[in-house]
Amino acid sequence: MKAFDYAIASNESGALAALERGYRPKASGIDLLDLLKERTAAPDSLVSIADIATLKGIREEDGGIAIGALATLEETGAHAGIRKHFHALAEAAAEAATPQIRARATVGGNICQRPRCWYFRSADFNCLKKGGPTCYAVEGENSFHAVFGNGPCHITHPSNIAPALVAFGAEIVTVAPEDGGRTIRAADFFMLPEDGGIMKENVLKKDELVTEIRLPAAVAGQKSGYVELREKQSFDWPLVSCVAAFNGTKWTIVLGHVAPTPWRAKGSESLLGKAAAITPEIAEKAAAASDRGAKPMSQNAWRLKLVRAAVRRALLLADGKEID
Amino acid sequence: MPDNNVAIENALPRVDVRQKVVGSAKYAADQYRPNMVFAKFVRFPYGRGKAVSANVEKARRVPGVLEVDVRIDDYQEMPGGRIGHIVAESEAAIEDAIEALDLKFEHERPLTDANLEKQYNGPKPTGNHEAIRAKFKDAAVVVEALYQTQVQTHSCLEPHGSMVDHRGDEVEAWASTQDVTGYHDGLKGRVGNVPGSKVVVHSDYVGGGFGSKFGLRAEGSLAAQIATKYKRPCRVVLDRDEEHLDAGNRPGSIQYMQLAADKNGRILGGKVHCVSVVGFQRGGGGVNNPVGGLYKWGDIEKSEDEITLNFSIPRAFRAPGWPQGVFAVEGMMDELAAALGMDPVEFRQKNETSPRRARQLQTGAELVGWSERKPDGAWPGRVKRGYGVAGALWPKWPTPCEAECRIARDGTVEVRSGVQDIGTGTFTVVTDVACKALGLDRSLVSGLVGKSFYPPGPGSGGSVVSRSLVPAVREACANALKQMVAIVAAEWKVAAADVEYADGVFHSKSTGRKVPWKSVCGVMKDSVLVAHGKWERGWAGESDGSSDCVQFAVVDVDTETGIVRVRKIVAVHSAGEYVNRKTAENQICGGVTQGISYALFENRIQDRQTGAMVNADFLNYKIAGPVDIPDIVPVLDQDDSDTGVRSLGEPATVPTSGAIGNAIANALGVRVRSLPITPEKILAALEPKGASA
Repeated sequence: MKAFDYAIASNESGALAALERGYRPKASGIDLLDLLKERTAAPDSLVSIADIATLKGIREEDGGIAIGALATLEETGAHAGIRKHFHALAEAAAEAATPQIRARATVGGNICQRPRCWYFRSADFNCLKKGGPTCYAVEGENSFHAVFGNGPCHITHPSNIAPALVAFGAEIVTVAPEDGGRTIRAADFFMLPEDGGIMKENVLKKDELVTEIRLPAAVAGQKSGYVELREKQSFDWPLVSCVAAFNGTKWTIVLGHVAPTPWRAKGSESLLGKAAAITPEIAEKAAAASDRGAKPMSQNAWRLKLVRAAVRRALLLADGKEID
Repeated sequence: MPDNNVAIENALPRVDVRQKVVGSAKYAADQYRPNMVFAKFVRFPYGRGKAVSANVEKARRVPGVLEVDVRIDDYQEMPGGRIGHIVAESEAAIEDAIEALDLKFEHERPLTDANLEKQYNGPKPTGNHEAIRAKFKDAAVVVEALYQTQVQTHSCLEPHGSMVDHRGDEVEAWASTQDVTGYHDGLKGRVGNVPGSKVVVHSDYVGGGFGSKFGLRAEGSLAAQIATKYKRPCRVVLDRDEEHLDAGNRPGSIQYMQLAADKNGRILGGKVHCVSVVGFQRGGGGVNNPVGGLYKWGDIEKSEDEITLNFSIPRAFRAPGWPQGVFAVEGMMDELAAALGMDPVEFRQKNETSPRRARQLQTGAELVGWSERKPDGAWPGRVKRGYGVAGALWPKWPTPCEAECRIARDGTVEVRSGVQDIGTGTFTVVTDVACKALGLDRSLVSGLVGKSFYPPGPGSGGSVVSRSLVPAVREACANALKQMVAIVAAEWKVAAADVEYADGVFHSKSTGRKVPWKSVCGVMKDSVLVAHGKWERGWAGESDGSSDCVQFAVVDVDTETGIVRVRKIVAVHSAGEYVNRKTAENQICGGVTQGISYALFENRIQDRQTGAMVNADFLNYKIAGPVDIPDIVPVLDQDDSDTGVRSLGEPATVPTSGAIGNAIANALGVRVRSLPITPEKILAALEPKGASA
């Protein structure tokens, strides 16, 4: 591991000043430590934002919920308001990783973590995402890579909570030294490789910091379901996850771990129309349409079957039905 | 004559449980010394090729770096191939030096698992049974199939490594080894002019060996070389990726079988062709199929072959060759039973060689609820429950072992043997056997292992340690007691035969006098009383030394996702008499857990273009975690014929994957004949015939 300068910021302006000077932010450092150990990242300087009080906690305000960037996955999964109104988000946070990691991992870190592609994570491969010439997954081992999206980089987005944020129409609030910051719709936060998201996975600028995630006020009839499917039940990355959310008028179906960003299953959404109630037949039909637009690679078409299963189950769960 | 009969069967916690839980148990990798240097191998990362350039001068200039040695143009045929080493004052300096080296490689397309099918040129199922039917006139059914197993890396929790301290005229080493005596033999020739008697090896705690920690190994050799050169302590401990690449693996296999049985369910014989999937050096395969002694196989014609991939050589791995073979043969047993329309347990009973295992089949079937089992694929609903069974045995490998009993004037006892505790509970075994033999409790008795200056004992291979150690410890204690009795007899001026000893009290039969243990110790002439014990092959306790076992698995398979949950494993094992219930049951549960991991998850994956291992970590190399481990029911099966301590460590992991494979096939009504049994393979097996994926 390369030696680096380390600063500790006590407030947002201190953190921004450091970012302007080229420091990279560190919250709990869970993903960062892996990147350093793998020699995937070798920053010259880091600024800890872990002690900044204004970034902590979860507040209910204006009918919505504001989740501080430093709120942990454990806090998010256990929060009564989130559990009640944004159930799929609470479930996604509560299912991630291990109890130890959830106790430390922050929501800001969760949406900004780098992908888990084994070529990206290995110092032995100078892949596209590291400025190299090619995506090694295309001709290599791609069983766990993207089944949606056009490439040329075929990562899957690793965030467990991101699909729920997109499904609930959450907003991501940032601060930045130049323009003071902005509010970005979750759906616009994540970037596909074809839209410039090769060397990075989101629209954040180098000196921009996520401060909170805002969930809109819940509406009558809002309901949601979350499913993730893993090979192992202990500490494994999902093969696929799915959030099905009904906002009182329409369904939004967002898949995780199958594309370089959270991925809308638009085939399923259009089939559902405005039907609020989910019968097993409707769930089945919507699931069957979930692979519209899929572009599986040489070894991963099998995961489309899991996409179908996840969509079917998330819909049934959202409507309080048994999964038969 | 010593024997190894110990009906102790206590259920005390292992003696070192506190040290292990609070972290005060120090492993080789925990050894740091002032003035210590660090050394690390420079490795080639791909399957085939060589380093073509390295900036050695720049690496040498990194502060703290003492030595950089890299071989350019040294052609390698495995990822992790050692092409040099770096020595530095810190691990960080080594990392910086590797960066500064800026190694450039040339590499060619390697042979990886992706090329397996092209390389396999053995027989495949064709449905042509004419030859076998001509050979076995009574054949009622013929079954033919191709089974495959993956490469499993050793993945010891404690990485391989050594710390060697060379002090000029003496050498002390701390090693993660499963063979203290063998490590000492390897080290003593590699430390300059220091005589073997001045070379001491410690292996106090070891975090798993499984067959991959015999001998000095490359890490010990490098630590010795550098320590000798600089006359400073040198530490060489592998990283997790080096563990996967260069610390050992269970080779893969492809097994073709064609077997015939008569209408009564008797196996007549057939053909077996076993291909071991090994590293580029060839060798180290050896699939155990058919498993001799497990069933009556009839007349089997066997052939063998090898496929070499660009990877490191296999190492002995907990029952080398057995889990591979048992997964295939137990699958075939169920396929034959199905063809005959016979229950799998009933079919096994008909072909069983061991009355003990026949009994275990019955015990296990009752405990697991075998009567709930439905015909293959008949469990209703989306999540289907399946039941499976598999068996194994373990031969005896008598191995000499010595021990020493040392009694001090304060009444405390040390019993020492130069074996090692690789996590199996050897400290506890020595302590508890000595307690029993001496009539004392643990407050006075310490069982000690893991030092090269203790009397020599066997390496931890073949599951021989407990069975060889127990009689040696008993003999040492018996000899010590004789000396104690002589002291008492001399004090009391009676014949030695007049003195009896039990439960810490000496007693004269003629006078009725009594004296407690500690009082006698207090009047010993020497400060320490020493007695030896030795056990050798051919001595008592080995009349029928083999171990038998049967394991039953209950699984739930989600037919929509292909995800398997193992719900229960009933593991019925005969291991003769056991010493400590907790460590014995722990061996079984550990073996079963490793077997579940092998059946469902573990799999070395190499990039087909470069040969680099893409999952050389603990995240993508999947190992069963707490939620994946089901209710495991260990049963220590015994009858009057089960005398002596026998082997338990290795057989515990042998049948698990076979039982799970059979349970999944029972649940689904279709069979996955390839390990690991992943959701992908299950979904493919469930795909309607003729449909496209």
